[in-house]
Amino acid sequence: MRHIILALLACASPALAGPETEVKIVLPAGPDRLDPCEMPRSVIGRIIKQNVVETLVELNYADATLMPRLATSWTQDSPTEWTFKLREGVTFHDGAPFDAAAVIAAMERTIDPALTCITRTKFFDGVDITATAVDPLTVKFTTAQPSPILPTLLAQMAISSPNTPLGVYTNEPIGTGPYRFVEWVQGQDVTLERSGEYWGEEPVITKATYVWRSESSVVAAMVATNEADLAFSIAPQDATDPDMDKVYPNSDSAMFRLSVDVPPLNDIRVRRAINLAIDRTAFLGTILSEEATEATQQVGPNVFGWNDSLTPWEYDPDEAMRLLAEAKADGVPVDTEMRLIGRPAMFANSNEFVQAVGEMLRAVGLNVNMETLEMSQWLEVANKPFDPARKPNIFLTMHDNNSGDAAFTVYFKYHSNGRQSELHNPELDALIEKAATLSGDEREAAYNEVFRMIYQDIVSDVPLFHMVNYMRIGPRIDFTPTIANAVELQLAKLQLKSS
Amino acid sequence: MGSFIFKRSFQSILSLIFLVIVVFFLARMTGSPAMLYLPPEATQDQIDAYNALHGFDDPLIVQFGSFITGVFQGDFGNSLQYSRPALDMVLAAFPTTLALAAVTMPLVLLISIVTGALAAYHPGGVFDRLASLISLIGASMPNFWVAIVGVLVFAVTLNVLPTSGTGTWQHWVLPVAVLVLRPAGVLVQVMRTSMMTALSSVYVKAAKAKGVKARAIIFVHALRNSLLPVITVASDQAAGIVNGAVIVETVFGFPGIGKLMIDSVLMRDFAVIQAAILVTALAVFLINIIVDISYAFVDPRIRHS
Repeated sequence: MRHIILALLACASPALAGPETEVKIVLPAGPDRLDPCEMPRSVIGRIIKQNVVETLVELNYADATLMPRLATSWTQDSPTEWTFKLREGVTFHDGAPFDAAAVIAAMERTIDPALTCITRTKFFDGVDITATAVDPLTVKFTTAQPSPILPTLLAQMAISSPNTPLGVYTNEPIGTGPYRFVEWVQGQDVTLERSGEYWGEEPVITKATYVWRSESSVVAAMVATNEADLAFSIAPQDATDPDMDKVYPNSDSAMFRLSVDVPPLNDIRVRRAINLAIDRTAFLGTILSEEATEATQQVGPNVFGWNDSLTPWEYDPDEAMRLLAEAKADGVPVDTEMRLIGRPAMFANSNEFVQAVGEMLRAVGLNVNMETLEMSQWLEVANKPFDPARKPNIFLTMHDNNSGDAAFTVYFKYHSNGRQSELHNPELDALIEKAATLSGDEREAAYNEVFRMIYQDIVSDVPLFHMVNYMRIGPRIDFTPTIANAVELQLAKLQLKSS
Repeated sequence: MGSFIFKRSFQSILSLIFLVIVVFFLARMTGSPAMLYLPPEATQDQIDAYNALHGFDDPLIVQFGSFITGVFQGDFGNSLQYSRPALDMVLAAFPTTLALAAVTMPLVLLISIVTGALAAYHPGGVFDRLASLISLIGASMPNFWVAIVGVLVFAVTLNVLPTSGTGTWQHWVLPVAVLVLRPAGVLVQVMRTSMMTALSSVYVKAAKAKGVKARAIIFVHALRNSLLPVITVASDQAAGIVNGAVIVETVFGFPGIGKLMIDSVLMRDFAVIQAAILVTALAVFLINIIVDISYAFVDPRIRHS
């Protein structure tokens, strides 16, 4: 019997990744649809963005600058009007020509209220935008309100073929990119193939197969055994091979949001004490990656408006205790029980992180009760309307801004009308509203001031870390991951190592 | 026999109806899934529009009415997440889990009946102790841990099996092995006890006195008499494979119903939860009916009563 088993096992040598120029890529989760209008969701964007469907403007994620892609140039004619010149000689994978009519069709499909396209709900809601053709290769966008960052918004909008069905989601994206969509086997894989008719330079990789596994150790094993060539993210404890495992910022920023209206958190000394009581550096290289960086604000350095002059909180438990004693002497109920709320798998080891923070806060004399909420319960606490009878809470959040502009963060996190905002500060509201209408250096200065006020004057949260992911890259592939890979992976940027 | 099966089927249908009602209302007690599907920046208008689009703003009883009407027309509604008919998704995923169970259960029965029976012949002997130890370990090890260690040993270190996925028969070895472990561990113990009882009966002593060989006593005389408790526990374990499948399918990336259920519960994909529960419950009831029939087959006293 044993001989038979050994013989069977011996002849069962696992299948390796395909021929030389084909790659297999492992995602942490499979797509639920492949509609181009849902591209800003990373689970979809990582497959199709700039591979199958392209954008008029391409965002350089490293420094939030814009590059031409399907548009060759653009100008702002008035505060509400932008004109885009389109690239000539481009066709969609289904043969339709890329021209002003195609751009208008893609725009109309994206903002169609019959679909809940994330591109619309996230970037174009309330923008009230219309596109008109000036000539076959020139499009003019007109918005009801001034739109100083329209090109940044358009960097998030996929230009899909005008033959894409209207009013229903599609799972067969057709674009102008270097790769055409071949098939999606539900629950198993998605395949893309080099189109061969790309307007730009032909990429090296001829075919890409995407599979998905949720268990990090299995994902790491797939690349280690050459079953796959690249895995988007593996847990820090599985990133054991420096030759294969490359770290990259994933554009997520972790932070505790404080319920600033609920005593004792309505006292700024208590909020300062919480910031001082947490030894952030102790987590780096222990339960979090040593490559993660301490945060001072809700966005990272890659976002336009990030304030580079703020320095992280020092770890000073003595000062924290002094502030708490002072507040107590003034009658602040610092002994009130507070909820310290986390969510499972928010990031690798996030439960352990919350527990450790709980101990640090208890060490300075705060009364915290740790809670772990499942996603939908967590959202109920995260979003307005807030429960009027709620306990004070120290609420772990994770925010990613990969659209390149602080506007996408500050309104909904800090403005009185923001869905996840604890604040109602008229001065801050006015500044946030003003910043959104500015452009260039003025805009940057305004957002810098917004982040400074929140961090130094209001102290409404406990900034923690800008997080990183580990990408595991097999020995055949030559590639260095960047923050862009939080939302996309341009197959054209993968090179093969000459062996 | 016919009226017995009819009665059992009728009971099953009643439980099924009860289950459908409970699942429908329990799922909706958690509120609208809108926030899971809309971006965090979504405005109240967008949330309202989403709820209206999917009928979540109707009174619960109206939603239930349209759900029941749909079920009788074979329409379970569309998946929120995938925008595909929920029943199609469930029926596409179900064969994978069924195949996993169909390979696992015969293996479990074979291993546990043979091992349990042999262990019972010399209670306290070396084989018995070894079998007890191994079955106890098998029954107590957590599935996800065995699965991951299995991948590390057989795929990464020995490089003889693929890590995960489907395709060739090799892809089935690790998932099936993981699924076999726990029910086999439990059933070996059941079989051993049941066989020991059978072996202490008078007819076995008579057979021994006649000089019948040990193997014949176990597998010809005592086996059939000791199978009833094994069948009962095995049917329980077979239904439990759906639980095991949740973990195995998640770790190994098998597109089965266990993974589908977990994902749809997390995403509050009501239509898929309902269709998956109903289809799985039907399968469990079918198993129970098969088990009832096999009782009668194994034990003539049940057949003739």
